Amino acid sequence: MMSKKTFFRLLLFFIVIQAILSFGIDYKLNIGLHPDTGKFSIWNSEYPMTIQDRIMEEFQPDEYFKAKGVTPTIYGSERLHGFFATFFGEKTLYAFELIRMLIIVNIVLLIIVYLVRKSIALIPTKKQIVFEMMYSFFEDLTRETLGKDKTHFTSYVLTIFIFIWSCNLIGLIPIPGFMEPTRNINVPFGMGILVVGVVHFMSLKHKGLTKYLKGYAEPFLPMAPINVVGELSKGISISFRLFGNVLGGAIILLVISSLVRFIILPVGLNMFFGLFIGTLQAFVFTMLAMSYIAVEIFD
Amino acid sequence: MDFSLIVRSAAFLGAGICMGIGALGPGIGQGFVAGKACEGIARSPENSALLTRTMLLGQAVAESTGIYSLVIALLLIFTTG
Repeated sequence: MMSKKTFFRLLLFFIVIQAILSFGIDYKLNIGLHPDTGKFSIWNSEYPMTIQDRIMEEFQPDEYFKAKGVTPTIYGSERLHGFFATFFGEKTLYAFELIRMLIIVNIVLLIIVYLVRKSIALIPTKKQIVFEMMYSFFEDLTRETLGKDKTHFTSYVLTIFIFIWSCNLIGLIPIPGFMEPTRNINVPFGMGILVVGVVHFMSLKHKGLTKYLKGYAEPFLPMAPINVVGELSKGISISFRLFGNVLGGAIILLVISSLVRFIILPVGLNMFFGLFIGTLQAFVFTMLAMSYIAVEIFD
Repeated sequence: MDFSLIVRSAAFLGAGICMGIGALGPGIGQGFVAGKACEGIARSPENSALLTRTMLLGQAVAESTGIYSLVIALLLIFTTG
């Protein structure tokens, strides 16, 4: 374990080196194996891109590489990307990275499921206690929100929470090419469509067809288009909230990392945006999905 | 003068104004919710878990207009010009 004094000395060392090396604004600080000498060192290199170029490269890679005429760096298997490109054409880099990240999230979830289910026992182990606490927390939440006879919704709610939570947390892992899948609008929007679909199915099941259709002509019949728009805006608002929070955090992180040369400050910011905002938004998404169902059930 | 330059500068200006005004409402709303939740917790400390949860949910709902303005500002910056 590193003592406090050593830690602060190391911090001071990096800050001094950063202050020495960051005189020109167009330079980038590198730590690692030097490409020319092959030794471990700290050196400056030309910083060819402006901040806007970096944001473009991060969030719209297809348009960026097409406009600049540069060959893109592909994270993951190049053969797989080539296979992808034969089916879906040129503009597939972002979609490829997104689907790769989604598959990684799903594999992580499957491994967790396997590890937890393997060690299931009457006298619980530590892993089992953590997951049982999570389950009972959400069971209490479902019982409070939806009523005593609706606790079978816990699995649906907990699945949404764990999926979005791990999607938000996987951006914390500092490997090149790792990003939050919720950063792309398509993932939250798909989750929003799922939520709205479940809400309408429960409404149909609970009220019956005639009462469900009558709900659209609520004060009087000409208001029906406005009610339809109101129903659609549920899905749009729930998905745009998640998307905007994750994307805004990612852009702020990228800009501040560029300004401070990727040293020290981005770690704390990453903790804030990844852990705090990620957990909070996943929780808010599940709570809203539950309260939409509750509005339809209690009338 | 180049016309596209005017369009681009207008888009940047619009993005700045959009975020500035769009962040006003959510800020006031979130602060109001937090203050009321503090009052509630001071009055009945045994309900603090429920109050905190409801406060976070209300703040996240109040935040959504700010998020819309953020999305529109990003659209203005990255798709114009």
